[in-house]
Amino acid sequence: MTLEELKEQVDAGQSLMIDIRLGKAFSEAHIAGALSAPYSQRGWGRAVAGWLKREAPGQPVLLFGDNRVLVDSAKSALEAEGIRVTGTWEQGLGPWIAQGWPLVRVENITADALRASLSEWTVIDVREPYELRSGIIPGAKAIPMGELMERVKELDPSQRYAVVCASGNRSQSAAAWLAEQGYQVANLVGGMSLWIGGGHPVER
Amino acid sequence: MIWQPIQDPELGCLSYIIGDPITGEALVVDPLGAVGLEQYILTAQDLGVNLVKVIETHVHADHASCARELASTLGVPHALSRHAPASFVFEPLQDGDHWQMGQVDVTIWETPGHTPDSISVLVADVRRGQDPWLVLTGDSLFVGDVGRPDLADPNPEAILRASRDQYHSVRRLMSLPDYTEVWPAHYGSSPCGGLFMDKKPNSTIGYERRFNPFVQMEDVETFIAQQQRLLKPPPAEAAELRRKNLGL
Repeated sequence: MTLEELKEQVDAGQSLMIDIRLGKAFSEAHIAGALSAPYSQRGWGRAVAGWLKREAPGQPVLLFGDNRVLVDSAKSALEAEGIRVTGTWEQGLGPWIAQGWPLVRVENITADALRASLSEWTVIDVREPYELRSGIIPGAKAIPMGELMERVKELDPSQRYAVVCASGNRSQSAAAWLAEQGYQVANLVGGMSLWIGGGHPVER
Repeated sequence: MIWQPIQDPELGCLSYIIGDPITGEALVVDPLGAVGLEQYILTAQDLGVNLVKVIETHVHADHASCARELASTLGVPHALSRHAPASFVFEPLQDGDHWQMGQVDVTIWETPGHTPDSISVLVADVRRGQDPWLVLTGDSLFVGDVGRPDLADPNPEAILRASRDQYHSVRRLMSLPDYTEVWPAHYGSSPCGGLFMDKKPNSTIGYERRFNPFVQMEDVETFIAQQQRLLKPPPAEAAELRRKNLGL
């Protein structure tokens, strides 16, 4: 599909866009409304098709990726499960960004950079309570992943939030979701593993 | 460290994806035409990494490479020894080149012999330790054997020179600690090695020091004489394959 067709589809909002890039790429930037489902050769087609049949039956499906090989493979996997793919995009975000069209973005912040600018951030630690014993970043607010949706009301849209977990994976998807809700967020790369590894202070 | 060997049992070829879980960056080393570039892209995605560079330990003479096609499909550099007489644009690697992808630390050694453009890739995981955890020896050192000296240039003088280089490259690899893992570009009955190449794909520097017959030879002239004596007939299309892999 052409860039114009992609834009029309996004603006019309009738189609479901599935972003098959890796979670890291999705959380750094994606088109608003896209769902993240990083493609994998094992079980992806069945899982995504199952979800589509349950949650969005009959809705047109667009696949968004940055690589022809992966987009083609994802398309075949969905078609093998009886899902019709109505459009595919394999050029990533480059052409979209070149037009200056809006994106949902999550900044990636390193432990050193966060330490240096800690006063400008409210840190949200999304780990489970039992994981907090290894120490938290001073002043961090603990909101376990599972409570985030419910407790998002506690957050202030005028503040900047740095989201943290053990290794930077869960915080990545939490940060992407918060960005989608309109909050200003950054993801701590490498999570507490690199924060503690870098010798930065923790509270216990 | 993310570590995925990918093999072609038919020709006894080995290729590798090596990545860092935090930055999500990975290298692919010696990708095989028989496996196909699609498979490397799909496997990297399954492993959750982006391929940022394609490296070849040398220009191969026994099988078709897909390094060039893979690098151009992904839009990433294709890196080869600065001595590779290739006709296409590549990133030249030289002895001592060194870079990090997150916790994965990569160092290049020039280990000529099998071909003048043979390199070895030393890989450390700095989260675990500073020493190399493994070395990709290409066709410089195999499990139980060493690379043959006659495929790049079959004239007798060139073979002698290559064999002498091979001796010194093997000695240099033996300066690594015993616990360093050895992962070559071939195993089994690959035509790139001699009669002693093992069907097991990997070993350690210590095991090869103790049990590899070519490493046991202390003296360079013995080494050269043995390599000459044990030469197998070259694979039928060796010259043609190397020409093709050089883009000629």
